Amino acid sequence: MLRSWRLRTVILCLGVLGLILIIGGATQSLHAQAPTVVRYWLWLDDPTEPMFDQLVKEFNATHPGIKVEYQLVPLSEYHDKLVTALAAGSGPDAGRFKDWWLGEFVKLTALEPLANSIAKWVGRSDVIENLWNTGKITTAGPVYMMPHQFITFYLYYRKDWFAQAGLKPPATFDEFLAAAKKMTDPAKNQYGFGLRGGAGGQDQWLAFMVGGGARMVDGQGRVIINSPEAVKVNQWYIDLFRVHKVAPPSAPTDAYAQVLGAFQAGNTAMMAHHVGSSVLVTQKLGAGNVGVVPIPAADPAKPATMATMSGNVVFVTSKQKEAAFTFISWLSETTPMDKWSGSRQGQLPVLKSVARLPRYTENVFFKVSLDGANYAIAWPPLPGVGYVSAQAWQANMQRALLGQISSKDMLDEIARALQR
Amino acid sequence: MRRRPLRRCLAAVKLWVPLGAWLTFVLAPYAWMFLTSIKPPTELYTKTVRYWPSQPTFEGYRLLMETTPFLAYMRNSGIVAISTCVIALAVAMAAAYCFSRIPFRGKSVLLFGFLVTQLFPSVLLVLPLFLIMRSLGILNTPPALILAHSTFAVPFSTWMLTGFFNAIPRELDEAATIDGCTRLQTFRYVLLPLSAPGVAAALTYIFIYSWNEFIYALTFTADLQARTLPVGLQTFMGEFIIRWDLLTAGGVITALPIVFFFMLVQRQLIAGLTAGAVKG
Amino acid sequence: MRSPGRSSARASRGNRRGRTWLLPLFLLSPALALLLGIVAYPIARAIWLSFHRLEILRPDLTQYVALDNYRGLLQDPVIPIALQNSVVWVVGVVVFQCLGGLVGALILNRRFPGRAMVRGLALIPWATPSVLVALMWTWMLDGNYGLVNDLLVKAGILSRFQPWLAQPWSALPAVMLADVWQGIPFFAVMLLAALQAIPEELFEAARIDGASAWRVFRHVTLPLLLPTILITTMLRMIWTANYMDLIMIMTGGGPGYSSLTIPLHAYYMAYKRLDFGYGSTIALVQVAILAVAIVAYIRLLRRNEVMVQ
Repeated sequence: MLRSWRLRTVILCLGVLGLILIIGGATQSLHAQAPTVVRYWLWLDDPTEPMFDQLVKEFNATHPGIKVEYQLVPLSEYHDKLVTALAAGSGPDAGRFKDWWLGEFVKLTALEPLANSIAKWVGRSDVIENLWNTGKITTAGPVYMMPHQFITFYLYYRKDWFAQAGLKPPATFDEFLAAAKKMTDPAKNQYGFGLRGGAGGQDQWLAFMVGGGARMVDGQGRVIINSPEAVKVNQWYIDLFRVHKVAPPSAPTDAYAQVLGAFQAGNTAMMAHHVGSSVLVTQKLGAGNVGVVPIPAADPAKPATMATMSGNVVFVTSKQKEAAFTFISWLSETTPMDKWSGSRQGQLPVLKSVARLPRYTENVFFKVSLDGANYAIAWPPLPGVGYVSAQAWQANMQRALLGQISSKDMLDEIARALQR
Repeated sequence: MRRRPLRRCLAAVKLWVPLGAWLTFVLAPYAWMFLTSIKPPTELYTKTVRYWPSQPTFEGYRLLMETTPFLAYMRNSGIVAISTCVIALAVAMAAAYCFSRIPFRGKSVLLFGFLVTQLFPSVLLVLPLFLIMRSLGILNTPPALILAHSTFAVPFSTWMLTGFFNAIPRELDEAATIDGCTRLQTFRYVLLPLSAPGVAAALTYIFIYSWNEFIYALTFTADLQARTLPVGLQTFMGEFIIRWDLLTAGGVITALPIVFFFMLVQRQLIAGLTAGAVKG
Repeated sequence: MRSPGRSSARASRGNRRGRTWLLPLFLLSPALALLLGIVAYPIARAIWLSFHRLEILRPDLTQYVALDNYRGLLQDPVIPIALQNSVVWVVGVVVFQCLGGLVGALILNRRFPGRAMVRGLALIPWATPSVLVALMWTWMLDGNYGLVNDLLVKAGILSRFQPWLAQPWSALPAVMLADVWQGIPFFAVMLLAALQAIPEELFEAARIDGASAWRVFRHVTLPLLLPTILITTMLRMIWTANYMDLIMIMTGGGPGYSSLTIPLHAYYMAYKRLDFGYGSTIALVQVAILAVAIVAYIRLLRRNEVMVQ
């Protein structure tokens, strides 16, 4: 009995000692500056590449007061997960963002206007000037999204096939149609153009629409996508599939994997896309067999293409807005920008200093893309763009391609969805 | 009675031909996924369909294990699935016993009520569930998924088990009670062994549901602490790069634990357990 | 079974008479707690949402709109199409899953070497994650380089490749094929379990009487399996009605609206058009339709004494 009494005392003392140590340790760490935690969400094209992880480690090391914790979310679920989290009040502090969603989220007052922070940011003047507009709702209004990586659309074509047929790469709509027709041979399961009617095809569609002279909105911001000129250009696009049959029969529901697969397999002669796929395409087909030209224009004097921006935003619900901005602006500084753009998932850098680097100017894909940036047009920052890009465009384009509705009906539907 | 060779041959044909045909249909897409996972990237999209890789490579599997947190995802999936099995099965068995063996008022209404929860698309329940998980403080931990999965596995399992329990004659219960068994003993020594196939089926259902569940796993987890396989696999599909090697290798491997699990569990699916039960 | 608790059994029987609700309550309380605590709130919220126009993050803009959402549903031209697709989807998929599963269960019930492994392998479609089922089937059905087309052309059944997922008449059936494939093992396992409950003597007796395999199936196996088939089919129909993963990935509801089902439409309205009120309304209407169908189904089962109480 005596022994157990002593045992109990020993255990009690050890327990108290342990408790003192724990509390001491805790208070010690409390006295040390607890870094501000910034929660950042993003999607990555290739999560196996350590590029982003290294960037975060570098930032955390060079900014001792801030600790960035990131969460990787698949792009296909990114928007939905963000909506759920924000609606529940558990959103991140900052996150990667697409210009498709800008109008929607600004209308919900979910994004923090960054004008003041940007005014104090050192790297401000290095950003290609007109790219700031991709983060604004009105030209005079504040910037909500920090530009980070963007792409402009161009046209891939099979250099070897074109050489064999004695054709030069198309620059106008007429040349494009003629070349596509020449390249089409259904018996050999070969088609001129990989038209993308499925998920995500709205970007390339817009590229051709603006190339043909149509516009989504006019100077005053009014929706004019269903104007008579636009209806004609849309009809031309639809006719590629319905009348001239230069696109594969699967075109209405072809999404990225199918269009890329068909081009890589040698089923199509031309594919509209951007620098994000250049590595994959040249890997499969060989750099000598793939060429790239700007999106053809109906009127060669008025070229146009489509651009879309993946930027970074700070959310209104964040309690660490300053620290969050420090991180996202750091991502848009020269060295981190170069690291990102030069990686496997790199897209076009938004900084003039980086765009000048030989790594980009000497790469034909980057060069053609960056040239296009001068006259590229993005989706207008309307709240309805999110819905149009996620579902409305796809359903209506498919119905038009199948002849269930007319070109005008399709554009009317889209105009209605945009103005919601 | 010695079977003549011809009859034996016919019997074999009557077994192996349907088995072969059924199995071919069941395994073909999986085989295609496996073949894709061992093809080098240059052989993925070819003008004429290529079935066999000319240079099979297991690089995808190696990269999956070494450069991605695949094993962590698998660990999380395992924890969640096994825990859900235990909890959901226990809850469902208790409820099913109650529905099957205890008369009380409002039974059919309650049984119907169990179904009502399944009538909703999970996508619309995500947001309120997220709020609940957050207020419980279990976001980004396995318990959040265990809870969510149990909630959706329990009604179905209850219905199934109720059906299996109902198939066991009440005379057996009465016989056991006459012998002096309590309810619990009757359950443990009479009902449970006889419904072993049903329990095995319910267990399989719960495990597979939890293992492959996506939408709650996506919404309630943030990182490797709790993220499960289906969400992890989805990260291999980027905006412009689809890692077919990792995706298909991951898909091949993800299905295997279930195959092994069922090879163990299927021992309960053997005829003869109920033979003579009523007579005896 | 010895009598370890003879006296306690008598005692508890006496107690039980006075408190007949205690045991059911105790046994059911975990299940009820889960359901009421976790699921009742979301369902109540969905009902509340259907009477409002919700702006996420803008509670100040959320307004009560009474039956506007329901009126909108009646005027929505997409709803009849989605409803029709949903019915075709549910009935078609479940019927074929059941048939395929029945065949599988009968085969897997027989004794042959390696049965354990074959049974394990048979689960593979159900065990494969949905995203990969969708991707692989999309690839296999591809109109340019898909193996289904390749095999059909080589077998002489088709003359040229068909873009299965791009034609309005074949898009939904193509996705249904993928779902039937995915769901066959589910029925196989459930029916296999039910088969074990059929006493061997019945089969032996029938065979001794000289019945052929088909007659044994028709008069012994099938009637005894019917209760399980009917219940499992009902449960599976409920689940399939809400299952949209495959459709979303393979066709996105397209081309046009030809493979759009009700839950997918509800999802698009809620998460893409950010109209949670209307999305909830669509989901609730489906719930109502399903509930009515289930009640009718259960009445039918009870009349045929399937759910023996």
